[in-house]
Amino acid sequence: MSGYVFLFDLDATITRQEILPAVSRKLGVYEKMSFLTECTMRGEIPFKQSFLQRVELLKEVPVSQVRRLVGEIPVNEKLVEFMAENRERCYLVTVHLDIWIIDLVRRIGMENNLFCSKALVKNDHIQDVVSIVDKNAVMNQIRLPFVAVGDGNHDAEMIQAAEVGIGYGGVRQVAPAVLACASHVVYQEEKLAEFLERLL
Amino acid sequence: MAVSRTVIISCAGMGSRLGLGSTKALLEIDGKPLIIRHLEMLGHESDIRVVVGYQAEAVIEVVRKYREDVLFVFNHHYRETGTGASVALAAKYANDYILSLDGDLLVHPEDMEKVLACDHEFVSGGIPGTDDLWMLQTYTENGREFVSSFSKNTGTYEWNGITQMKSRKMRNGTGHVFQLIEPYLPVPFLELRTREIDTVNDYERALAWVKNGFQ
Repeated sequence: MSGYVFLFDLDATITRQEILPAVSRKLGVYEKMSFLTECTMRGEIPFKQSFLQRVELLKEVPVSQVRRLVGEIPVNEKLVEFMAENRERCYLVTVHLDIWIIDLVRRIGMENNLFCSKALVKNDHIQDVVSIVDKNAVMNQIRLPFVAVGDGNHDAEMIQAAEVGIGYGGVRQVAPAVLACASHVVYQEEKLAEFLERLL
Repeated sequence: MAVSRTVIISCAGMGSRLGLGSTKALLEIDGKPLIIRHLEMLGHESDIRVVVGYQAEAVIEVVRKYREDVLFVFNHHYRETGTGASVALAAKYANDYILSLDGDLLVHPEDMEKVLACDHEFVSGGIPGTDDLWMLQTYTENGREFVSSFSKNTGTYEWNGITQMKSRKMRNGTGHVFQLIEPYLPVPFLELRTREIDTVNDYERALAWVKNGFQ
């Protein structure tokens, strides 16, 4: 057994759609959201700034409504299965807000293995984003050799620091920063799940 | 075919001696990139790893148009390492055996069938025919031919870079592929018809070979 811990990005790695664009499509703010998402993927806007701007776009929408929509997003079942079978070694590391993703994360049984951003809610509306996940802090906390799987620029640091850093391009293009540091890149969920099994 | 095998195709190098401005795996021979010619012959192989480095995105794009289930392995140090480093990276977490092919090689289709039917270790070579070659020295025992050493100067066959070895033996090294194999010699020999493309002369010979139906 390798002893590796497995860190997974959530958005477009575990989910089969990009979370905020999928939700915003149903809420009528898709164009603005999509523009910000694309700029972020291309590395044109700093990730933290872009994320806060995207949160701002959905701030008027009741938290419960966003949470329900996020909870309905389809997931990559084989990856979820892998996490379920190796729960004690798998963690989700995502910038998304706890109050939006918790239904989705519970659905896949990862609520106790989650590193995410946090927000304060009052009367079903976001009052403030109180913390944005610090992937460096997560890596320091893990303290064991780890495998990282992700696709976006904000995953690159985690992928670079990993013993095995995997770019996954099954949902959207793998970001250039990930291509520049990944040890492996794969575009098919079955193939990714198969490779993860070998890393156990 | 019972052998548990991972096929590794090394496509990380720059191909600078050809002066064509692209990595050699993307070089088109009679309208088809070399890497696609390999993949067409590997249709039944379920674990294929393509090692990328120079022009990685271009190689990935071409491969994905043909086949989506390939695992790409990055050799980020392709400028200062040899093909052995690429093979060593891809041999990690692989099946029991690895079959290693260079992306700049053309293999006779009938001989590739022979390769894929092989269920043991081998080192392969053929009749010398390229401008910059490494040779294989061999000996015969009980009717079987074995490779005893690699040499720059003398030998019976030209080493073509194709080998099938236990993957655990191939996981460390940064130089040539044959340097990974050397500690484990002797290894059974397999004769194959191939054309390696390192120089413009090699390219022209390979093109003529394909156009003449591999004759």
